[in-house]
Amino acid sequence: MTQAATPAKSSPGLFKRNPPIAGEAEAIEAAKNGDPEAFSKLYTLHKRRVYTLCLRMLGNVSEAEDMTQEAFLHLFRKLGSFRGESAFSTWLHRLTVNLVLMHLRKKGLNLVSLEETINPSEEDAPKRDFGSRDPVLASSVDRVALERAVASLPPGYRMVFVLHDVEGFEHNEIATMLNCSTGNSKSQLHKARLRLRELLRENSEITLAEGEAA
Amino acid sequence: MPLPSDINFDTLRPEEFERYLPDLFANGNGKVSEDPRLAKFLGEHPDCAALVNDLETIAEHARSLFQVAADPSDKVWQNIQNKLQQGGFEDDEPEPA
Repeated sequence: MTQAATPAKSSPGLFKRNPPIAGEAEAIEAAKNGDPEAFSKLYTLHKRRVYTLCLRMLGNVSEAEDMTQEAFLHLFRKLGSFRGESAFSTWLHRLTVNLVLMHLRKKGLNLVSLEETINPSEEDAPKRDFGSRDPVLASSVDRVALERAVASLPPGYRMVFVLHDVEGFEHNEIATMLNCSTGNSKSQLHKARLRLRELLRENSEITLAEGEAA
Repeated sequence: MPLPSDINFDTLRPEEFERYLPDLFANGNGKVSEDPRLAKFLGEHPDCAALVNDLETIAEHARSLFQVAADPSDKVWQNIQNKLQQGGFEDDEPEPA
């Protein structure tokens, strides 16, 4: 239980965005030995990232809090198996993603939604026209508008977009997690971005119309 | 559709470009607009160039979302503590890969 963390192996995507945190290694080792204060420290260090990941993947505060709770309970049980082969935050991210995916698969409705976006129906797919140059799209993509648009994506589109574009996972990693091909992951990401483009253009049109009416 | 190795970018049509776009984004550094092979095509097809610009804008802004995080409510930690004190919860989930 007291094995020292070995140097983190380079991992695509996430690791470069998850540098070691001061005091984290000591907290991990102490928590492995059952130190409740050390586990509390790990929670404090990582609760925001875990909760935000759950919230973006699920689009629901209540479910996100439940999954955050589950993620840390499983962390408590699995911490002894952490060998430092990847950054702790990367390892915890993967644990959380796996839990959220399992949670979605257990829920019939979300399972259907997830599969629909892996094999989307024509009605759900984004329009395949190029559209015209929208001079206001770039300026309308503020954080709030994008967060809102991401939250309104179908679950499967949202999953691939959040994992790749926000969290930094590579297509081969996503394909493994979602049990699909890398080509499918690329295709779903592209469709998610196309759908976001539509949503953001609609949002900018509404904003313009409201501005003119005021 | 995977990008063919013998693709002729000088004779590329917009429909083909659309089919190849997921791979063009995935295979490069995500900046299709900077791909020299596509400079001529994008210059001749402003709607395709606009699409590329918009999708790149979305991807760039998405990266900034990583820096934005929210806090769970205090009840999450209270529940975790309660569960740990009770000592009984299911253990049927996979470890991270």
